[in-house]
Amino acid sequence: MSGNAELRRLVMFQAVLLVVLMLALSNAPVGDAIWLNVPPTGTKCVSEEIQSNVVVLSDYVVVSDDHGHVPTISAKVTSPYGNNLHHKENVTHGQFAFTTQEAGNYLACFWTDSHTRGAGEVSVNIEWKTGIAAKDWESVARKEKIEGVELELRKLEGAVEAIHENLLYLRDREAEMRTTSENTNARVAWFSIMSLGICIVVSGSQIWYLKRYFQKKKLI
Amino acid sequence: MESKWRKIWGLIGLLLLNFVNNVSSLSLTITKVDCVYEIVRSEGDIVSGNFVVVDHHIFWSSDHPGIDFSITSPGGGILHNLKGTSGDKFSFKAPRSGLYQFCFHNPLSTPETIAFYIHIGHIPNEHNLAKNEHLDPIIVKIAELREALEAVTTEQKYLKARDAVHRRTNESTKTRVIGYTVGEYILLTIASVLQVVYIRRLFSKSVGYNRI
Repeated sequence: MSGNAELRRLVMFQAVLLVVLMLALSNAPVGDAIWLNVPPTGTKCVSEEIQSNVVVLSDYVVVSDDHGHVPTISAKVTSPYGNNLHHKENVTHGQFAFTTQEAGNYLACFWTDSHTRGAGEVSVNIEWKTGIAAKDWESVARKEKIEGVELELRKLEGAVEAIHENLLYLRDREAEMRTTSENTNARVAWFSIMSLGICIVVSGSQIWYLKRYFQKKKLI
Repeated sequence: MESKWRKIWGLIGLLLLNFVNNVSSLSLTITKVDCVYEIVRSEGDIVSGNFVVVDHHIFWSSDHPGIDFSITSPGGGILHNLKGTSGDKFSFKAPRSGLYQFCFHNPLSTPETIAFYIHIGHIPNEHNLAKNEHLDPIIVKIAELREALEAVTTEQKYLKARDAVHRRTNESTKTRVIGYTVGEYILLTIASVLQVVYIRRLFSKSVGYNRI
């Protein structure tokens, strides 16, 4: 029994060494992210339309090429109903994580601070993960004690479930739009007929009124 | 001994599969020119993505020039250049690693919102490993399967963005139908009442002169 534990510890140690070696060899910054340029004046905002009950994980870092002075930015994240989810001023990096309560457009805005203005555009590295991409597979692997090929297959299963959910969402949206289109179609027909009816009614009442008016004025 | 090696290869596979990058679909509002940058870690990675202009069709007149889109490789060469589009898909094999630039150019001054999605897929192969390491073929197969699933996800993001544009068009049509027809009824009624008032005034002024 203890031999197994020793073996496991040895394997973990070797794996950690391998991880460190691989990270050291790859010169690129760790993390899958997009870079944006924040202008010196004004804000740069990115938004995404997210359904409710989705985990959102994000990480932002200011990237600077000049080594002495690292510019700072401020960040603000708002929910579709206007609630402030994250607000930080004068930082070079930050992160936020939340589970969406409302479905709608989530907005993350960045702007440069007044202290570091004049440095031109600031490059920010933003890592934005929602839903299945934000799932913490390490804790799942640890909790259920799976690893290797089985963990990869579990990740594939998660990805397939996410695809299925997206398809159902698209199908529901298409059904909503079909209802709206059919309503608009019926409304166009009905309103056009009503407009013809109103035209006839209005001109009929015009003629009736004028005839009564002329008869009152004894012109006809 | 067998399980120990299996664990090591499993962990190596885990590490290699972590090189599959994924970014969520984001919307950006551009005024003149705006660029998004993305790092490609190894050459030969397949970069695929799409973008959709969200404000299209409602406010654009027929002579709107559209949005220009270009992809620049780290060496400075332009890989892809689209002029006057309202949304498109793209996919290419990265000729080298480095920082790739995806630029949107808006020729007019009104700001436009663009929903884009970029995915960089990496399949581990023999070139990326050190000489004395061996790659389990099942890991490569799983990576290829994962890339196929990511292609489906990319297509779904495109469909989702197009569906959002379509929904905006539909709701705008509904509002326009109701608004314009009610306005038309009111204007019709007002025009006919004004006609009657005018004719009354015409006849009341000249009744003494019997001109008409």
